[in-house]
Formats: sequence, structure tokens, C-alpha cells
Amino acid sequence: MFPLIEIDNVSKAFTIRHNRTNSLKSSFIGIFHKRFRETKETLWALKNVTLSVAPGETLGLIGRNGSGKSILLRLIVGIYRPTQGQVRFPNGARVGAMIELGVGFHPELTGRENVFLGASIHGLSRGEVEEIYPGVVEFSELDSFMDVPIKNYSSGMHARLGFALAINLNPQVLLVDEIFAVGDEAFQRKCIEKMEEFRGEGKTIIFVSHAAETIKNFCERACLLDHGSLVFLGAPSKAIEEYHRLLAS
Amino acid sequence: MLRVDTPNFPYFLLVGILPWNFFAQSLMMSTSSIVDNGGLIRKVWLPIEVFPIATVFFNLAQYLLAMAVLFPMASFFFRVPLSRSALAFFVVLPLHVIFTLGLGFFFAAATVFYRDVKHFTEIFLMLLFWLTPIIYDVRVLPESLRATVYANPLSFFITSYQDIFYRQIVPDPFHLLVLFSLSGLSLAVGYIVFSSCKVRFAEEV
Ligand SMILES: Nc1ncnc2c1ncn2[C@@H]1O[C@H](COP(=O)(O)OP(=O)(O)OP(=O)(O)O)[C@@H](O)[C@H]1O
Ligand SMILES: [Mg+2]
Repeated sequence: MFPLIEIDNVSKAFTIRHNRTNSLKSSFIGIFHKRFRETKETLWALKNVTLSVAPGETLGLIGRNGSGKSILLRLIVGIYRPTQGQVRFPNGARVGAMIELGVGFHPELTGRENVFLGASIHGLSRGEVEEIYPGVVEFSELDSFMDVPIKNYSSGMHARLGFALAINLNPQVLLVDEIFAVGDEAFQRKCIEKMEEFRGEGKTIIFVSHAAETIKNFCERACLLDHGSLVFLGAPSKAIEEYHRLLAS
Repeated sequence: MLRVDTPNFPYFLLVGILPWNFFAQSLMMSTSSIVDNGGLIRKVWLPIEVFPIATVFFNLAQYLLAMAVLFPMASFFFRVPLSRSALAFFVVLPLHVIFTLGLGFFFAAATVFYRDVKHFTEIFLMLLFWLTPIIYDVRVLPESLRATVYANPLSFFITSYQDIFYRQIVPDPFHLLVLFSLSGLSLAVGYIVFSSCKVRFAEEV
């Protein structure tokens, strides 16, 4: 069977701009004053990562802060383009949003408005949004907060709404980036249950977490990133072991 | 001074200021349209072109609404009936929209890399306002100043609107050709610049 996502020798470089001139004014002054000139350095946030994800697989991504996990997800969604290598979808899979804290919600709009906005950005018609809306409210348990602007939500409520919306969009591939950190235990359990259900339906999940237990219990395979390189890919318990060794050294 | 030569001055002013507002507002809003939606652009894949386009069309709707309300009122008060030349509006307007959109693309992209473009746009628009024959009629200007005014591409659009609604003549073909070329050029340059750097927007906003 074809893999669902093929990450083929992907590298991603960012230009770190020291003394950053992101204004015309400072660029102009930089012509005359060395002190104001920007210097550039290339940061390889991902280095030659090769990975393929099978349909229906649950893959965990672990690694230190800044090791490139979120970037890998962004490359899969297509928000970032790889500097080298390719991300391919041999089956033409549809990858939805990545779920992370604050899924592109607009702070001034209410929860309800954000659900409608978010869903229509993902290509749902008004009728379809109305269909999924009750499900979103029910899952997030934010019934009485739907008319409150998002900026007044707590971070956990934010995460709830984001997750509830994303799962109700019913994507083929679920990309989850460290959203449980702020959810309470009841919500974490609910999310895991929902993700189990997704897995039961044969959907693919890529899951970033710093919670070793969750990765161990939930994922079939785990991938350890360090400074942008893939250092281990295989059984979750083994990956966690490697990770702890890495942290200790 | 200038007023003397421009009968029905308030009507004249109205004809020029409405399209100017459309242009200036669209440009101001497009300029920050990518940066302001950074949160969204970083999280969801979506055709980024929609931001400047939506901005221009939002302002277009306001412009048309203002026209729909003000023109009947104005022609009632100033007794300037719409003539058949008004049909040329449907040629000039799309060109004006395309022209504005091209600049909108350009400035939206530029702001991602240089955040103060926004402030420069503001100042630039203020200057441009005086270089556009909105509160004066280009025909009362001495020959020497006219060239300066027509160095500003927007003048061609505004004078066309004035031809159509105020002087009630169809803009001459040469004039329309200029509009056509300007809008084509603006859209081509703006869009090429925009699409050549759009892959970097998500990283930079
Ligand atoms: N747009 C960008 N411009 C420059 N550098 C970036 C950009 N996005 C990410 N980086 C850099 O890439 C590296 C990897 O970031 P990433 O967000 O993938 O880390 P992470 O593994 O998700 O970490 P965490 O566990 O903290 O979420 C970091 O050093 C970060 O500074
Ligand atoms: Mg991250």
C-alpha cells in the first residue's frame, strides 16, 4: 500500500536576521551606519528528514523545545515550503488544519463566530457549518461561552474549542501539536478517547507531545527529533528511552 | 480662486472624492491585510491572495453603496441629471478596481518584509491626494502644472469619473487606453511581486 504522507529528505532553513531591519527606515540607515546593518545567518531547523506515514497510523513526534516538531507539521499542512526535499501525498490525502494552541482564532470574535469563520476557511458551506456546530459546542462543553469573545477565554477553553472544531471538520489526517498542556484532565481524557475513535475509523494521526505516557500508550510509532535531525524512529517506548538519554547527556 | 471656474463645486467634489476614498481605503487596508491576519496564515493553509482581494471588494461595496445613496440625492439637489455618458462608468470602474488591486497586492507583500511601509503609505496617500484633481479641476490649472498632475496615474481615473458624471462626456479613447494600460501594468507587477514572495509570508508574519 502507498504511504499516506511521504517526507522525502526534507530540510528547512530559516534566515535568522541579527539586528533585524524589518523597516524601510532602518534598511536605509543601514546603508550609512554599520551598526544598524543586518547580518544574516542560516538556521537549519530541519535536516534531511525522511519519514513516511502509512494510512491509519498513529505517529508520535517527540523532541526538545525547538527541535523542529511544529515545523514538520507545518510542512505537512503546506504552510511552510521545504527548502530541500519534498513532501508528497501519494493518495492525494486531504490534510486539514493542525491543531495547536489558538488555531488561528480571531480574538475579537465570539466563540460562535470563530467556529463559523474557521470552518468556512476550511471550505465548509454555511449549511455544513450549521450541521457540525452543535457537535463542536457539545464536545468543547463551552455552551455558555459561545457568545464571549475569544480574547476572554482561558487558555484551556481556547484549546477545547480548537480541538472540538478540528475534529468536527473530520479531516483524513489529524495533526495535533501539544494541546493537552493546558487542558484539564477530564478534557485530556476526552481528547484521547476521541482520537481513539478516529483511529478506529482508520484515520491517520500525527501527534506532538511532551507527555511520555500518552505517547507510549497511544502511538504505534514515535519519531524523535533533535536539532532538526531525525535521530530515532520506531517503537514509542524505545523512542522515549532515547529521548531521556538525550536529555540526560 | 479655483472655485470660481468650477460651477456646482460640491457636486464636482463628490464625484472625485468617492472614488478617491475607495482607492485610499483599499490601499491602507490591503497594506496591513497580510500582517494583520498573520495568526491565520501561520496556522491554516489558504490561498493568501484572498486577503488583498477581499479588502478591495469590501471597499468596492462601500463605494458602490455610497454612490447609490449620494448620486440620486446630488442630482436632485444640483439638478444634474445622469446622462448616457454614465454608461462609461462600467468601463472605468473595473479598470479602477484592477488598478487598486494591483497596488494592494504590492503593498501587502511589501509590508510583510518592511513593517513601516504602512506609515509610508499613509504619507504617500496624503501627498497623492493633492496631486490628484479632486478638489480642483485639472482644466483650470496652468499648462505647466497639468503635466505634474498627470504624472500621477490616479489622476487619469479621477478625471474619467469627472468626465462621466460631472462634465457628462464619455472619456476620450486615448484616456481609456491609458486607464487600460495602467490597470494592466499595476495588476501584473503587483501580482508577480506578491506571488513570488507569498511562500515566505507564513514564516515572516
Ligand atoms: N518563521 C521562523 N523563522 C525563523 N525561525 C523559525 C521560524 N519558525 C521556527 N523557527 C525556528 O525553528 C526551530 C524549531 O521550531 P519548532 O517550533 O518546530 O520547535 P518545536 O520542536 O515545536 O518546539 P516546542 O517543543 O517548543 O514546541 C526553532 O529554533 C525556531 O526558532
Ligand atoms: Mg512546537
